[in-house]
Amino acid sequence: MRALLAVLLAALAALAAAAVGAERARIPEGDFTPVVAPGTNQKDVHVAAFELDRTPVTNADYLAFVRAHPEWARGVTPALLADAQYLAHWAGPTTLGRDADPEQPVTHVSWFAARAYCEAAGARLPTWYEWEYVAAADERQRDARQDPAYRERILSWYAQPSSRRLPPVGKTPPNVYGVLDLHGVIWEWVEDFGGLMISGDSRTQGDPDKLQYCGAGALSAEIRDDYPVLMRMALLSSLEAHFTTRNLGFRCARGGSQ
Amino acid sequence: MMRLVLALFVACSLVGSPLRADPHVHGTLAPAALPGGSVYQLKLRLEPAAGPSLPLASFRGRPLVVTMFYSTCTTVCPMLALAMSRTAAALTSEERAGTSFLLVSFDAGRDTPAKLAEYQASHHLEAPTFVVAHASAGDVRALAAALGIRYRQLPDGSFSHASIITLLDRDGVPVTRTQVLAAEDEGFVASLREALKRP
Repeated sequence: MRALLAVLLAALAALAAAAVGAERARIPEGDFTPVVAPGTNQKDVHVAAFELDRTPVTNADYLAFVRAHPEWARGVTPALLADAQYLAHWAGPTTLGRDADPEQPVTHVSWFAARAYCEAAGARLPTWYEWEYVAAADERQRDARQDPAYRERILSWYAQPSSRRLPPVGKTPPNVYGVLDLHGVIWEWVEDFGGLMISGDSRTQGDPDKLQYCGAGALSAEIRDDYPVLMRMALLSSLEAHFTTRNLGFRCARGGSQ
Repeated sequence: MMRLVLALFVACSLVGSPLRADPHVHGTLAPAALPGGSVYQLKLRLEPAAGPSLPLASFRGRPLVVTMFYSTCTTVCPMLALAMSRTAAALTSEERAGTSFLLVSFDAGRDTPAKLAEYQASHHLEAPTFVVAHASAGDVRALAAALGIRYRQLPDGSFSHASIITLLDRDGVPVTRTQVLAAEDEGFVASLREALKRP
């Protein structure tokens, strides 16, 4: 009887969870080789099982968040947490208008804002390794990075002018995990965006000439010709947490080890 | 009954309306608004090596010299602690009494307040001028982001991090920062004196 009750409660909890926010994909645990080695003598990282939103957070989702949390409305949020371009494409603080369709991914959001959104949803931003792990997949394989067709498709997106109107979310083919829009739509914030291009060699920390980055030596890229991922890392690394841009959005994650 | 309702109505209109009509009645009692660029816009809590936990914003009202480090770091972090001490030593005792020095650990997992108390003692960072504090992993990320300090935890548990000392004015707005660790940064000390002169 008690077991039955537990099962019922679990089912109810699952139903309640499914009713809020974006649809999520369950990502199984696994080892993979990130483009930039995590440490001097280590090539692989282990990613614990976690859940990732299938699509990026939309303007409509973010509008609901702003209505519930007025401290994140444009014009109210302090400059420390979001720059002057925060939600600049919306017609008003709580109005989307003609330049922001409800189903488009929300952009012009800072890292602090993205984090606050996920936290309010009982979630968090994915880490870079989680993002890179899932983004390595295509429709058929968990790691498609050596497949020329996979790279070609991503690079062709990079070649498009960034002034084009953003497509609605959910129009790209789902990858093997059921996650969409990781490539070809927007750039996405991750929890640890600031540390991506820092060398994994801690021995250089004592060199006074390199104190700024405590070891900003050459990066030991494992997959040196994976330009799509390196470009994304370079872009994220150049950002500051209050920056917002017209092509930068986010999605949330849950569970896992962080 | 009717009289009671009427009395309540009158009482409400007497008490309620002036407040609603003039929001400045409240405003005069509240502290001045925090500038938008203040690091104290972050709602985060610190657990100092000594004393109870406190909000970061509790440093408001005095200039703050702040940096981030971790206690098991043997290379650059001892130099960071030394540079903080050197800055404090460059001040008169009166100036020092009006300033706070804060070191927050990157290592939310291992740098417990007890561990940090050992560090504070062994590096002669005297309380209450110096505060050495633990914060949650999420708060460490937010503070590092606000101060522009990039870092990454390495597989062996150590951290690769930028070594930056930031001066915040009385309202928590960054004034200047230094990466000079090996000698006294005179410009930084001069900025700190300026910040002390301003109300």
